[in-house]
Amino acid sequence: MSDSVYIIKSQEIFDAIVVGSGITGGWAAKELTEQGLKTLMVERGRPVEHRKDYIGEGVKSWEMPFRGAIEKNVADEQYAVQKQNYAFSDATKHFYGNDRDYPYSTPEGKPFSWIRGNQLGGKSLLWHRQSYRWSDLDFAANAKDGHGVDWPIRYGDLTDWYDHVETHAGISGSVENMPVLPDSKFLPPFEFNNVEKVIKQQLEAKYSDRKLIMGRCAHLSQPAPHHVEQGRVQCMARNECQKGCSFGAYFSTQSSTLPAAAKTGNLSIATNSIVHSVIYDPKTRRASGVRVIDSETMEVREYFAKIIFLCASTLGTTQIMLNSVSEQFPTGIANSSGVLGHYLMDHLYGAGASGIVPGHLEEYYSGRRPTGLYVPRFRNVSKQDAPFVRGYAYQASAQREHWSSFANKDGFGADFKHAIRNAGNWSFGLNGSGEMLPDFDNKVTLHPTLKDKWGMPQLLIDCTFSDNDLKMQKDIAETAGEMLEAIGLKNVKTHDRKWPPGLSIHEMGTARMGKDPKTSILNGYNQAHDVPNLFVTDGACMTSSAWQNPSLTYMALTARACRYAVEQLRQGKL
Amino acid sequence: MHNDILDTPAQLFERRTAIKQLAVLCGLALSSQSLSLMAQSFSSPIDQSRKKQGLLKAAQLELVKVLGELIIPTTDTPGAIAADVHTFIHYQLAYCFNQSEQQTILNGLATLDEQAQQRHKKVFVALDADAQIQLLQDMEAARKGFTETHRQFFKQFKSLVMFGYYTSEIGATQELAYLAIPGGYRGDFKFSEVGKAWALNF
Repeated sequence: MSDSVYIIKSQEIFDAIVVGSGITGGWAAKELTEQGLKTLMVERGRPVEHRKDYIGEGVKSWEMPFRGAIEKNVADEQYAVQKQNYAFSDATKHFYGNDRDYPYSTPEGKPFSWIRGNQLGGKSLLWHRQSYRWSDLDFAANAKDGHGVDWPIRYGDLTDWYDHVETHAGISGSVENMPVLPDSKFLPPFEFNNVEKVIKQQLEAKYSDRKLIMGRCAHLSQPAPHHVEQGRVQCMARNECQKGCSFGAYFSTQSSTLPAAAKTGNLSIATNSIVHSVIYDPKTRRASGVRVIDSETMEVREYFAKIIFLCASTLGTTQIMLNSVSEQFPTGIANSSGVLGHYLMDHLYGAGASGIVPGHLEEYYSGRRPTGLYVPRFRNVSKQDAPFVRGYAYQASAQREHWSSFANKDGFGADFKHAIRNAGNWSFGLNGSGEMLPDFDNKVTLHPTLKDKWGMPQLLIDCTFSDNDLKMQKDIAETAGEMLEAIGLKNVKTHDRKWPPGLSIHEMGTARMGKDPKTSILNGYNQAHDVPNLFVTDGACMTSSAWQNPSLTYMALTARACRYAVEQLRQGKL
Repeated sequence: MHNDILDTPAQLFERRTAIKQLAVLCGLALSSQSLSLMAQSFSSPIDQSRKKQGLLKAAQLELVKVLGELIIPTTDTPGAIAADVHTFIHYQLAYCFNQSEQQTILNGLATLDEQAQQRHKKVFVALDADAQIQLLQDMEAARKGFTETHRQFFKQFKSLVMFGYYTSEIGATQELAYLAIPGGYRGDFKFSEVGKAWALNF
């Protein structure tokens, strides 16, 4: 990308400011610039250029001094939270926020793991790329059981927008015609291996209400012509995505939305610009811009625009809103309802079961598939059949035991070495992804005294799982164990890793959508009830969490909100 | 913030050639522009030398070297010594382990020498291979003077040796099968088509 899109100071009144450059920020920039709006993308972190700055990509394990591990003191002092993430390594650490620079607090005994990606591209470089539509089972859930407020939209409001984002991003998967999990506009699915095919037959024969399908992911299994035009090619099955992918084979801001936005000539980017607050103009009752602290020089500057999109990540956006105080909004911009910061959710991960699949030792696979399999939700679908509300999915895969599994087995010497070379047994696992209920008491506030090194008040995150959440988590592990026993796996073991909330990196809520301005921050178009030219389209907007990975829904919501904002702007309503 | 690594023309050419070959293998039609863009990413971009100080004294390093080769010996492929696993462990312990974890390893190594002295009046490395293997088997089984703590040490040490070996170039590419860029996923694939386990599994 040409350097000319990068700006530092500007007196220009832009048509739009987009705060954040991750999945939703990238989409907002693409949609708004393609609609002809002069758009400024504001990013707190440094620039990361596609290909050039993927410094861990292609580096062999033996070329890394600690083979992918990092120094203990660096890990403990700078990445105490980030290192808990499965993809954190020497080859990816530069895409994670440094915990020393981005402190936050939690009450004693209530940990919350806040994983950050503070650079151009945000967590679009780090996400696991699983992409699933929601259905009306999910959008109607709050209304049905009374937890949280009703969503102001239904699946029908999003179908065209799912189509729109899926076509551009490229989502691989199989058509299944399942009401709980509507099909996307798919590229071909990745292949099952032969053992997974056997397990699929066995599981579906045992359980008429369950299906084992290929995971749906934002990877070009077979690029369409418009993907090739974007400079993207087929997935090479390296499964090292979080190091960055020069093939552009997975959807990220850098591979997909940023080139599209830059192509319009309407995009400017201000990096190293930490948004301190949204500026509110009481005369017009509109947001007029953002106040920014330069992360390198500490200089304060302001940018102005007609509309503002907050896409700074769930908690990043809410931190900015809480810090945007004025006479009109003493507790944070657009917070007349008082629910800003409340109803924080994550997903229930970390529980499941695994076992050994006997035999099949002539079978193997080639390549490292960037997705596993998926068992869509079956609990509480057509009737209430569990001692909790809502439900969960399983992510799954079958693979042969690797040298790293042999480290847990007894033995050493030539025979041991030879056994490793011959690959081990097949193992198969199910790992849950469950819905967490919205709860007023799960909340973020600004810490009364603690600030970060730029003078921003730190977040105080107060979040725990509810009784319903814990009951579901227990069922996730037990049911996984039963299913594996039922199809004859050996040595079946259940697990619950007791992940703290946050570690699933699906944090949602805290500036929720709703029908009633008295109980929600945003309307059905992600527009602030109180400030009509302010939009929030990242995970902060979510009214419930559902059980699916949320990013695809964020993309659809963002694209839809952008179209609405542009129409409103053209009609002179903003 | 930026890592501006400039490649020599020869290095760039080499990489482009490699990627063109790869593209042919994958049946991909790539434009020369996208090839050159892709080539830029396959560099070793950062200063990789974070080796300053190892943990082990000369005698301990020698013991680690001998133990590594007992765990992963030379067979029809090179073993742990050829893969320089002991040097890897020397630095890994110093940089990636905290003091108490380091002490656990040092204690375990000392225990092996103590048991060797008790049984044979020699340090471990001075024993013949049979005696060494017997000691390790007893340690792994937590018997004959070895406790559960010693068994746990052996497991941990063994996993460190395996990590060092199978992430080394020798372990990954000679002992196991290594595909940096598989080109796609094949699920209907027989073990005999590759004949050995993948170094990178999934």
